[in-house]
Formats: sequence, structure tokens, C-alpha cells
Amino acid sequence: MGELVLSNVEKIYRPSRKAPVHAVKTLNLTVKSGEIAALLGSSGCGKTSILRMIAGFEDVSSGTITMDGKPIHTLPPVGRKVAMAFETYSLYPPLTNGENIAFALKAQKLAGSESDRRVKAIADMLEISDILNKYPSSVSGGQQQRVSLGRALVREASLYLLDEPMGQLEPRLRAVLRGRIKHYLRENNCTTILVTHDQTDANALADRIAVMEGGVLQQYATPAELKVRPANLFTGTFIGEPPMNVFFAKTAVNAKTVAFTIDGGVTLSYPAAQLSFDVRKLLNTSQRVGIGIRPHALHVGKGSITGKVVACQWLGDQTHVAVEVAGRTVVSIVHDMLKAKTGSDIQLNVAASDLHIFNPETGAAIAHGGDLA
Amino acid sequence: MTQLELKSVSKSFGAYKVFEELDLQAQAGEIVVIFGGSGTGKTILLRLIAGVQEPTSGTIEIEGQDVADIAPEHRNVGMAFQNFALFPHMSALENIAAPLVAQKAGAATVRAGVDKVAKLLKIDHVLDHAPRELSNGQKQRTALARALVAEPRILLLDDPLRNVDAKLRFEMRIELPRLLRQTGATVLYVTQDYKEAMALGDRIAVLASGKFAQIATPEDIYLRPASLSVASLFGDPSINTSETTVEMTGKTISVRLGGVQVAIDSAYKSYIGRAVTFGVRPESVELAGPKSNGLAATVMAVTPLNERTALLLKSEGGWEFLASLPSSSSNIPKPGTNVKATFQSGGAHLFDKTTGERLHG
Repeated sequence: MGELVLSNVEKIYRPSRKAPVHAVKTLNLTVKSGEIAALLGSSGCGKTSILRMIAGFEDVSSGTITMDGKPIHTLPPVGRKVAMAFETYSLYPPLTNGENIAFALKAQKLAGSESDRRVKAIADMLEISDILNKYPSSVSGGQQQRVSLGRALVREASLYLLDEPMGQLEPRLRAVLRGRIKHYLRENNCTTILVTHDQTDANALADRIAVMEGGVLQQYATPAELKVRPANLFTGTFIGEPPMNVFFAKTAVNAKTVAFTIDGGVTLSYPAAQLSFDVRKLLNTSQRVGIGIRPHALHVGKGSITGKVVACQWLGDQTHVAVEVAGRTVVSIVHDMLKAKTGSDIQLNVAASDLHIFNPETGAAIAHGGDLA
Repeated sequence: MTQLELKSVSKSFGAYKVFEELDLQAQAGEIVVIFGGSGTGKTILLRLIAGVQEPTSGTIEIEGQDVADIAPEHRNVGMAFQNFALFPHMSALENIAAPLVAQKAGAATVRAGVDKVAKLLKIDHVLDHAPRELSNGQKQRTALARALVAEPRILLLDDPLRNVDAKLRFEMRIELPRLLRQTGATVLYVTQDYKEAMALGDRIAVLASGKFAQIATPEDIYLRPASLSVASLFGDPSINTSETTVEMTGKTISVRLGGVQVAIDSAYKSYIGRAVTFGVRPESVELAGPKSNGLAATVMAVTPLNERTALLLKSEGGWEFLASLPSSSSNIPKPGTNVKATFQSGGAHLFDKTTGERLHG
């Protein structure tokens, strides 16, 4: 297994034409040996261009891609030892599903019995053992997707590239397969890049997530860090379902308290000691800030935020409470069943340690939970 | 007051039976969600109520009156579709006005009606835009406005949030109930998303294999599912299952999960010897240290979802199951950890192995 390093990688489509497309901008990214990384973003963010440059289907416009220190961006795709599962499956129609998976092992010149054993193990894991003798055209999209995934995982490769590998799977299987695939990738120490627009898949599978937007890497961090220490307002609001609640507020700092007066009138006030000296110093001069509060950090119960219940929706394992506060709707998540009548008054509170403070102009994070970002 | 009643409604195309003998009552102002997978006939059911298709047998009553002989335009029913179905050559305003124009309402009435509903749905600033100039969210609101403008007594919404992105879907899920209440209409809302069904429905009618498998409040459906198939359709990750038999050892009632005996509620005593499917919801699995009581299991993988984290576990006997904990929980075990699992009785059920029916403990 290898360590993959992208250094100053750029991708510009149609560079000599009138309207060149700058799809990937100065990307630096390291995927450590055995690490599972996710490229996450909405369509047009550059994630697929990155994937195609790593696989060798596109040239890099500038920059380098190395595997264990050796440049691979100059090699043809087959020389890169990359196993790939395609979003479009790309199975060989004249081969059975089992032959499609075994095909990947031919180059390794394994004994027939060993090849059969590996195909069977992968097929069992992906729950496709019963369709190995069928042809791709006669099975469902979700099954083809698992065959494609099996064909990639069964190989020995320096790097595994998985492009939207779970999109077609029904929910029950998806939840279990996420766990099994993650376990498999770990056990086999597979260096892996997962490309997806689905943040749940990225969160579930990846050690680190590279959040992409407009061809620019916004943040590369563990799922927990992205939640707790988002680098900017984009990452903060992009990661998390339901999304982070965002307010704009004016600060008032003195020796004893730090107060945030939200546009519309609500004031959050905290003893000064709950925010670090550096943060207080910074807020003193910055005055106007963006404040982000994750839904699970907004607690129902006595507090300085008062509003009217817009909706209270129990979903079995959590309750989403939407409250109108200062003219906008905020959402609180409670992990139990909570009953609150629509239109009734409700109080909410948030701890200083759960506040995310952003620069309102640039969106860059200033502080998380009372400490500097 | 019963606004809408289906009495033994069946629909088939030739020999193919879509559904058989559906009974449903919707009260005035109630939101009833028709929930089911694709191909279960949800859209066809709405079309029968709207009057654009006829049932093979059975009757549909609106306010106590059989509507078999009433043309669609006179049923006082509004409908919105998942693909919006806006007229591309008409502005948002003209699209919304269409039902009123069809009723030959005067210009002032049309304008007042459109303005009222556009304001409610926050699209009053884009009324002169053509559909292609609208965002998906605005298109969806325009389609909804068109369904609402003639103030129908019954509103049929066919998976209206299907084609909008996750953020907007969430926002609309929060907003829609209040909006629908304001219209006062009786709503039949079709969706395949169980969260949407639970969030929006006063009651949910679960359509599966051509029948209503259960018609009940979200709370009843989730906590007291009629059958294994209903239980499996609600929850993410969905309910863990294992086929087993109810046994008695000494005074303890138990089932075997992957060969290991696990005690269950003694209320299931009357089912000793019965072949059952044991089901437990992931959020009802409680994990404790290896020295506690419970089913011995190893954490195979930890997969954080959003607000919750799913853990894939394998029991001593090889039974694979999922547990779900709040992501903010401070003691989420790491992969490879040995734990003991117990099951909260509220989320653990027995279903008859053959019929799938839930057995009452």
C-alpha cells in the first residue's frame, strides 16, 4: 500500500480558448498509507477531475502526483496500480458477474482455486454470491454497483478509487455495507479515495474528508474535526444534516461578560472566562460576527433564546424542533421523543463551548468553543 | 368530519392487480401520508381520487358523496406532482393562475388569489419568471401554489420534495405542515421517504403488496409496527433481524441470536416453541463493557452518520447487527472493542416467522 501525495495540482480545461475552465486550483493533499480519504462536494466542485487525474484519465495541467515518493502522473493508467470502482459500473457485458470480479485477478496470475476463494469472499461480503453466474445486464443497478465494487476491492493495488460506490444501494444494505467495507479496507490496509456528494457516506467511511468547492480545497480533516472545528462558514454549513444554525450578531465585551446581540434582538451572554483571552481580545475589535450553532448543541430548556415552535417532528431516533427566533427559523435536535405544540413558546440555550464564530465578510472561522480557530 | 373516504377501492390493469380493497378515511384538515416503495401504486391512488383514472371496483366519497360520476374539475381537488409539471411557455404567475382561469374567474379574483398563495409560499418576487428561470425550489413552490390557488378542499401531493436537494427538502419538511394547516385542506401526501412521512403525517398509511399494511400515527407505526415489513420500512439504519425460536430455560424466556441465548421479556411466554423473527432497532441496542451482562460482541466498524453514529457489531455466535448512538456521546467504542449488548424492550420485537405479524408481548 502506498502514500499518495498531490502537490500543487492544477486542472484547466481548454486553456487556450476564450473561456478556460479552472476545475482544480493549487491542490495539495496527502493520503497516508492505509488511510481512507473522501473527496466531498457538490457537482462541479472538481472532485471528479481530481479522481480522473489520479487514475490517469486526465493529464494534470501542472503539479505532481506521487505514490510512495515516485511520480505517477506521467504514467499511463495501467502503470499506476490503481483499482477503481466506477460510478457507471463499467462492467464487461459478455462476462458473468463472477468473471467480471475474477478478471481483475488475471494479471496477478493466481492459481484458479485461490482466485475462486477471493472472489467468493468478496461476493459474500457484498451479498452478491447468488448472482455470480448471471450477466450484468440481467441484474439490478444496485447489484451491478456491488459487482463493480467487488472487482475493485478484490485486486491488490497501491490505491483504491471508489467513485460514488454506494449511490444505488437500498438503505438497509447500505448501512451494513458501509461497516463491512470500512472493516475490509482497514484489515487490508488499503489506501483509499472515495469520491462522493453524499456526506453521510463520506462521514461513515472516511478517516479524513477533503471538502471541495469551486475547485478549491476548503478543508481536509477528520469527520469529527469538520463538525467541531470547521475552517469557514462554507464547511460549517455544508457539513451536517440538518445544517448548522447561523446568525449574525454584534459583540459587546467587558471584563466580566461577553455578549452577542443577534440581529433581531436576542442576546446571548456568557461569563468572560468561558471564552479565552485571545478570543475576547479579537472580538473586542471585530464587533460584527457570524455565529454558528449545531442543531444538537442548541438545547431545549431554560435559556436566553425564546421563540415559537414552528414544527416538532419525531423521526424515531431523534426529534427535530424548529423554532422561530428573531424572525428566522432555527433547528434543535433532541435524541429522545419530545412533544411541543406548534405555536407554543419555547426556550433554548447554548453553551459558550458550542459556539462557532466566523468573520462575517470572509467567512473564515475566528473561534470554536471559546478558543481561537 | 370525514372529508374523504375510500371504500374497498381496487385497481387492476388487465390481470395485474395494483392494489386491492383499500379502505381509508381522512378527516377534514388532516394530513394523511401514503407511504410505500416505488411501484406500490401510490400515484395511481392519487389519480383515482383526482378522477383522472377510474377504480376497477369500490367507491370514493368526498364529504359523504360518491364521486364516481363527478368530473375531475368539479371534485374540488388540487394536485401537485414530483416533476412539477409546469407549463414551460407560461410565467410562474400564469401557471399558478391556470386553475382559476379554467374556472373562468374574473381577472381581479385571479390576481388576488395568485398573490395570496404566492406570498404564503414566498415566491411573490418571481411571479413574472418563466419556469426555466426558476430554481428547483421555486419550481416546486410554484407547482404547490398552483395546486393551492383554487382553495381545494382536498389536496393531493405526489412526492413534491423528490426532486429538490437535501437542504431544501429539509427546510420544506419543517415549513410544509404549517403551510398546509393554513390552507385548511385535507391532504394526501405521497412519499417514499420515511422521515418525511413521520414528520408530516398526522397519520401514515403504509402501502405494501397491494394492501395498507398499517394506517396509524407516526408514533404507533414506529413503536408498534403491525408487521416486520412495516418495521423495516421505518428507521435508518433499519431494524436488525434474526430468525430464531422462542425457548424457555429454567424460568427465563429467551431466543438464540447467532447460537447464543438471549433473555427476552417474560411477557412472550405464550410463544414458547414458536418460530419467530427477532427484531431490534439499532438505537435500542445498548452497549456496555465486556464484564457486564448481555450478548458478547465485537465492534467491527464505526461509521459516523450525521447526528448519530452507527456501529457494526458481530456477536460471539456470528450474528451481525448495528447499534446507533448519538454522535455527541462521549463513550463510542473503537473498532475491535469487545462489548456486551442489551436490548431496550421498547425497540425489541418478535414477529411471526411465516406471516411477519408482530407478536404482542
